[in-house]
Amino acid sequence: MKKTLMAAALSVMAAPAFAQDCGEVSVAEMNWASASIISKVTEFLMTQGYGCEVTLFPSATTTAVASLAENNEPDVVPELWVNSAPLYLELEAAGKAKTAANVFSDGGTENWWVPDYLVAAHPELATIDGILANPDLVGGKFHNCPDGWGCRIANDNLIKAFDFAGKGMEVFNHGSGETLAAAIASAYDNKEPFFGYYYGPTAVLGRYNMVAVDIGPYNAEIHACNQTQDCAKPGISSYPAAPVLTVVTSDFAERQPAVFDLVSKITFTSAELSALLAWQDDNGASAEEAAVHYLTQKKDTWMTWVNEDAAAKLAAIFP
Amino acid sequence: MATYDFIFDRLGLRDWCGERVTGDAPMTMAELLARGKSQNAEAGLSWSDVWNVPFPSMDALNEACPSFARTRDMTRGVEDAFLAIKDGLKVVLDPLTQPLSWLLDGALYVSHATPWWIMIPVLLLLTFWASRSLPLVGFVGTTLGFLGFIDHFNYAMETLSIIFVCAALCVVLGVPIGIAMSRNDRLQRVMIPVLDMLQTLPTFVYLIPLIFLFSVTEAKLYGIAIILYAIVPVVRLTDLGIRLVDKEVIEAGHAYGMTRRQMLYGVEIPLALPNIMAGVNQTIMMSLAMVVIASLVSAPGLGVLVLRGIRNLELGVGLIAGLGIVLLAVILDRVTKAALARVNAASAVPRH
Repeated sequence: MKKTLMAAALSVMAAPAFAQDCGEVSVAEMNWASASIISKVTEFLMTQGYGCEVTLFPSATTTAVASLAENNEPDVVPELWVNSAPLYLELEAAGKAKTAANVFSDGGTENWWVPDYLVAAHPELATIDGILANPDLVGGKFHNCPDGWGCRIANDNLIKAFDFAGKGMEVFNHGSGETLAAAIASAYDNKEPFFGYYYGPTAVLGRYNMVAVDIGPYNAEIHACNQTQDCAKPGISSYPAAPVLTVVTSDFAERQPAVFDLVSKITFTSAELSALLAWQDDNGASAEEAAVHYLTQKKDTWMTWVNEDAAAKLAAIFP
Repeated sequence: MATYDFIFDRLGLRDWCGERVTGDAPMTMAELLARGKSQNAEAGLSWSDVWNVPFPSMDALNEACPSFARTRDMTRGVEDAFLAIKDGLKVVLDPLTQPLSWLLDGALYVSHATPWWIMIPVLLLLTFWASRSLPLVGFVGTTLGFLGFIDHFNYAMETLSIIFVCAALCVVLGVPIGIAMSRNDRLQRVMIPVLDMLQTLPTFVYLIPLIFLFSVTEAKLYGIAIILYAIVPVVRLTDLGIRLVDKEVIEAGHAYGMTRRQMLYGVEIPLALPNIMAGVNQTIMMSLAMVVIASLVSAPGLGVLVLRGIRNLELGVGLIAGLGIVLLAVILDRVTKAALARVNAASAVPRH
């Protein structure tokens, strides 16, 4: 009874306001800071601009893609690091899912890093040769990805190619992303040596000034081999700019062309997002508050994403 | 107009509150949406205002009085307080816990360096020594053989060596704490909430301060996490076991003029041994449960495979590693239960 009343009330309210009924949309909310903000911004624009009923699903890279494959849900997956979820490429080829946008217009960064104060003191540490010649200067330890991350396989092959064991560089395999981030944070706060992998844009790279180690040029063929578990001849290749996508189900793209159009325009530059994450960190703000901050500060940017109807509705909130 | 303005007006604190500085302060989604509606808001008290009156929380009071701390200021305060005492704590705790790192690294080194054809017989002998049961030795041998056959032997040995170190330390630390608790009612009253807390706190909550205190690359990080969680049953059951010792037996001991030390070692501990052993059994099982979670802070072993299974949705990897953990659990449980049964049988021998 209550439900029908509410539905009736909603339809009465909704009918005159929205020319096109958007209906229910499920959006994945990945379990890291930047993705959470992007999901919240997406939710806001869909709800307030297009009248969608958005449900955010807490998710993670592999679980979201597996759910796409098995259940054709959620409708929208923002900030998908394809390198960590190769299954997505199969889904795309099969026509089940569709790339809406490169959510980071300049791509994600994957690299090996050392803190800036180490490079200032020892400029040779900016290259891998310099580091391997003086392992002690970086603590003699390489902080590797946790098992199960996409980068772990590539790193393990690179470690073989550079012969870390023969050069006295110990490899420490982290158990989770949290301890990897904590290792960077505590090393930087105490101005201790550090050498390890990280990715961006993230709060960690936004907050700590890390210098990307030059490990040589990018070679597509070698990198492709390095990304397989049983690469016969691991070679030396740096990481390319990582594709980070917003992905939607093909059904959703057909069902809601207007909203799909919006989703395909939601993109950020790495610098923009790093600044936002740094602001969030400084103010102890939640992801939602960071999203609001973005919406109030960058009105000119996101107003170009929405269509005229939506812009008119959003103008009421952003006079 | 905030709901709780009247409190500060009535108390004459308006001046202390000061003016709200608008600007870069974080704004919630609700506030943003309210901005859109404020143009057609009506004056006066409506039914929905009364219905939606906020709980007088820190955030609600802050809305009425900008000088009142918000909840986020409190959490930040806790963080700052922790960071302030962190260095002091570190100076004390770091050297104190260093032996744990050595023990764990040593145990892992032994498990890596010992070939399987030495390791398995040693473990079987250990089983026999603890249980005196040949069928059990056969079962343990078969299980270890199976783990070796599916190439999980090394992972299982890593897990096992971590458990040995942590469970042994739990007993070494936990039994004296339990004895002290049984002697002193006040200590018991203090300790029980602490034990409850250790058992119920979500594990990652106490992993966070540990990550700040110790280097994440040190083995003691997960060692401490396991010990804090697994020490509880042995402490509880030692305390309980000694308190349950028959008062008449104690009186008889006093009548013979036993000293406190004689009483403890000759009467109380032997009679409490079944309970203590049950605690040891539970402690071992709980360290096994924790060793999987501890893989999140870089503990090696089967837990790593479970995590990989979860992260990559490699169902097979996760299930097989899970099966390995179950097998280890069954072995450890059977062996300690058999040892417990021997202790019980020994203490059931007629004493008159």
